[in-house]
Amino acid sequence: MSSKPDPRDDTAASQGDAAVLARHTELGYAGQPVLSGLEFEIPTGTRVGVLGPNGGGKTTLFRALLGELTPLGGTLEVNSTTATVAQTDRSRLDYPVSALDVAVMGTLGRLPWWRRPGRRERKRALGALEKVGLADLAGSTFGDLSGGQRQRVLIARALTADAEMLLMDEPFTGLDNKSEARLETLIDELSSSGHTVLIATHEVEQASRWDLVLCLNKTQISFGDPAVALSKPVLEATYGGHIVEIPGQPDLGVLPAHHHHDH
Amino acid sequence: MFEAFSLPFFQKGLIEILILAIPAGLIGSWVVLRSLAFFSHAIGTASFPGLVLADGIGFSPALGAFGAAGFFAGLTALLGRSRRASNDSVTALVLVGCLAFGVILASDVFGSTASVDTLLFGSLLSIGTSDILLAAAAAVLAVATTVLLGHRWLARGFDETAASRVGAGAAWLDAVLLLTVAVTVTASLNAVGALLVTVLIVVPAATVRLFAQRITTQLVASVLLVAVLGSFGLWLSYQTDAPPGATIAVVSGITFGLALGVRSLGRRGGRIAAATALVLGAGVIAGCGGSGSNGDQLKVVATTTQVGDFVEQIGGDRVEVTTILQPNTDPHDYEPRPSDVKAVADADLVFRSGGHLDEWANDIVADSGSGAEVVDLSSGLPVQLEGEEEHEHAHEEEAAHSSESEAGHSHEGEAKPAEEEGHEHGDEVDPHWWHDPVNVIAATKEIDTALSEASPDNASYFSERTASFDKEARELDRQIAACVKQVPASERKIVTDHDAFGYFTNRYEIESVGTVIPALTTQAEPSAGDLADLEQTIKEENVKAIFPESSVSPALAEAVAEDTGASTSYTLYADTLGPEGSNGETWMSMMKANTDSLMLGMTGGQTDCFGTVG
Ligand SMILES: Nc1ncnc2c1ncn2[C@@H]1O[C@H](COP(=O)(O)OP(=O)(O)OP(=O)(O)O)[C@@H](O)[C@H]1O
Ligand SMILES: [Mg+2]
Repeated sequence: MSSKPDPRDDTAASQGDAAVLARHTELGYAGQPVLSGLEFEIPTGTRVGVLGPNGGGKTTLFRALLGELTPLGGTLEVNSTTATVAQTDRSRLDYPVSALDVAVMGTLGRLPWWRRPGRRERKRALGALEKVGLADLAGSTFGDLSGGQRQRVLIARALTADAEMLLMDEPFTGLDNKSEARLETLIDELSSSGHTVLIATHEVEQASRWDLVLCLNKTQISFGDPAVALSKPVLEATYGGHIVEIPGQPDLGVLPAHHHHDH
Repeated sequence: MFEAFSLPFFQKGLIEILILAIPAGLIGSWVVLRSLAFFSHAIGTASFPGLVLADGIGFSPALGAFGAAGFFAGLTALLGRSRRASNDSVTALVLVGCLAFGVILASDVFGSTASVDTLLFGSLLSIGTSDILLAAAAAVLAVATTVLLGHRWLARGFDETAASRVGAGAAWLDAVLLLTVAVTVTASLNAVGALLVTVLIVVPAATVRLFAQRITTQLVASVLLVAVLGSFGLWLSYQTDAPPGATIAVVSGITFGLALGVRSLGRRGGRIAAATALVLGAGVIAGCGGSGSNGDQLKVVATTTQVGDFVEQIGGDRVEVTTILQPNTDPHDYEPRPSDVKAVADADLVFRSGGHLDEWANDIVADSGSGAEVVDLSSGLPVQLEGEEEHEHAHEEEAAHSSESEAGHSHEGEAKPAEEEGHEHGDEVDPHWWHDPVNVIAATKEIDTALSEASPDNASYFSERTASFDKEARELDRQIAACVKQVPASERKIVTDHDAFGYFTNRYEIESVGTVIPALTTQAEPSAGDLADLEQTIKEENVKAIFPESSVSPALAEAVAEDTGASTSYTLYADTLGPEGSNGETWMSMMKANTDSLMLGMTGGQTDCFGTVG
């Protein structure tokens, strides 16, 4: 519960409509940095594709946004209540819970410890399931649902928790085309209803359709409008090929070609 | 086939297991859902040092167990939080520490005693009111925490990372769960013991887990399954005369195996198959049950093999004797079986040997609801030796003492040889009194009196038999004394790995030079220093033979023999008689066999007295 902003702290919110603000941020484990040079500002309500190779630091960034990791250096301001939508192959498929039970879990954070979720909480959860298009499957066992459906149940749980920002870690892995399309639509809907959505993905093509991309490979390779930020050199630097050093303060995107020659 | 249900000890066991089903089923479900199975097993085992402490200092064993379990739970929670190590490795680490601590406490600080064993193994057949109250308290706690915190435990088990986002992540939630597990384990200790407690808690819940689709089903079905398996196992143990805890464990294991097999066949058909298998199994076992008994005879229970032999010698065919301990079993490891409790429930008289060898006798009588009179043969014996020291430093003194004074303490006839060093702690009487025939003659007189009171019609029959037994015993005593005298006093030195032979060496003026295991029980572990001292003594005193006790592993004695060159070829009967057909099946033959072994050992295989050792 640590990264929730203090609701009385208006200054953070009034700084603009940034959901996340990273300045010289360096992240790592046990004092060893694995991701550095983060410089970005994510406006509220945007869809952000987070690209990077295996081990590039996507999950590390998400954990920092959730407050599980404190930055080793710089600052990382999170101005939204955040929920994560974990990869479903990591959740427990033989767990004795229904889709509704999982969605209800989202309400627990706002209830005092002695209160059990009651009818009101179940209603909220049902509403959230409806939003993700699963109202008719509310009573099914979670483990019996398809991968895409489970993904949406977890999104419903994030919605019941009133999360303003959703972090989806590789949500498209293992989904068929239909489920993928559904999930993309849902992401669009979430964004238009004011939610900030960060999606870690390996699909460059898909990411280019969202509002912003963040390319990570141990350091921030680029950030910004996909049309600008997703240049060929950036992709090369992100997914192997040459290592491009990002000097100074590349606030709004970098000019990879230029810097590439520069070195 | 259901007569068991009318017996008081069975009813209490049944009530206990039915109440325990509530916390075991509920907490077992959480344990399984939260992958804490290993932890709960560890808690059971880790309660061991608590039990030892409670027994040594003298407070309630349940309190001791809970203290240790709670401490263990706390330590695990703490270590698990500060490091990112996997929970299981932390648990294993703390567990090993607790066990080692318990063993050191048991062997070096206090002498391990029988009541610790009962708690390590437990028994549904000796349940008291306080056990039932403790189980009820655990049930209330389990229900309360499940109702209040169940939703949060469920969310946290579903995925821990996300749970911290949905407010279910507070560390105290886990702490309460671990604590409730500790309470449940503690409450189950008396019923199934520390080593099997996991079976009661984890296995039924894991079985239900294979099928349950909702948490409510999981919780309710687990409670029901523990209740069914527990009462079925208890009843089955009565029918087959096996220890209840182990029976419940086996029944639970089989059920889980069946469920697993059935699960792979598909859900619906499986349930039917499982039910059929259970009913079939029950039918087969019920078919094997049934027993008959003899009407007229006086029914008598004897705790140990030698007491059983004495009662048979005096009672002849007018009494039906049930002996609880079996030949060659270590009395310290005894766990009551249903037939034992039933025999006591039906008995007119119970004879016990006395001391810590059969401390459990009074409990069984109380738990069985029997009105039988208990006769403790150890009270009022003519020869009483003091028990050995339990503390390590005392052993060193003793070893020093016996090697210094050549005219050792056992040369002074029927005096109390332990008295010089025994006064600070040794208030316990050495319970192996039957190794002196003088005591046996007195004991048979007591048996005669008790049997005659219980069955006055047969009084003269009993007296005749007592008189002829006593005559034989006196003759045996003379023979042994005369035979042993053949060995010069300075060469009458033995080493044995059990302190049971004080009465024998005292009676026949043999010097016992140190012992391999320096304690009265067979469970204490000797220290390296004790062993070194002993080997030193053997070499200095030129001891020719070492006698491993028949019911204890001779490995240790052999190790000493290897180092010193002394022989270990001969064994002695210490705590029990030998099995039927052996040269120690009665007390008389056992005494002869022991004498022969001692003589052969002391004379390098030259001389024996009765020719009983081949
Ligand atoms: N708990 C941890 N302790 C130490 N190092 C870690 C830990 N988790 C991740 N790392 C390291 O941090 C780096 C970034 O890992 P991260 O999981 O963030 O990558 P990712 O971009 O999510 O990769 P993938 O696409 O495979 O999911 C890797 O080098 C990884 O080895
Ligand atoms: Mg990752």
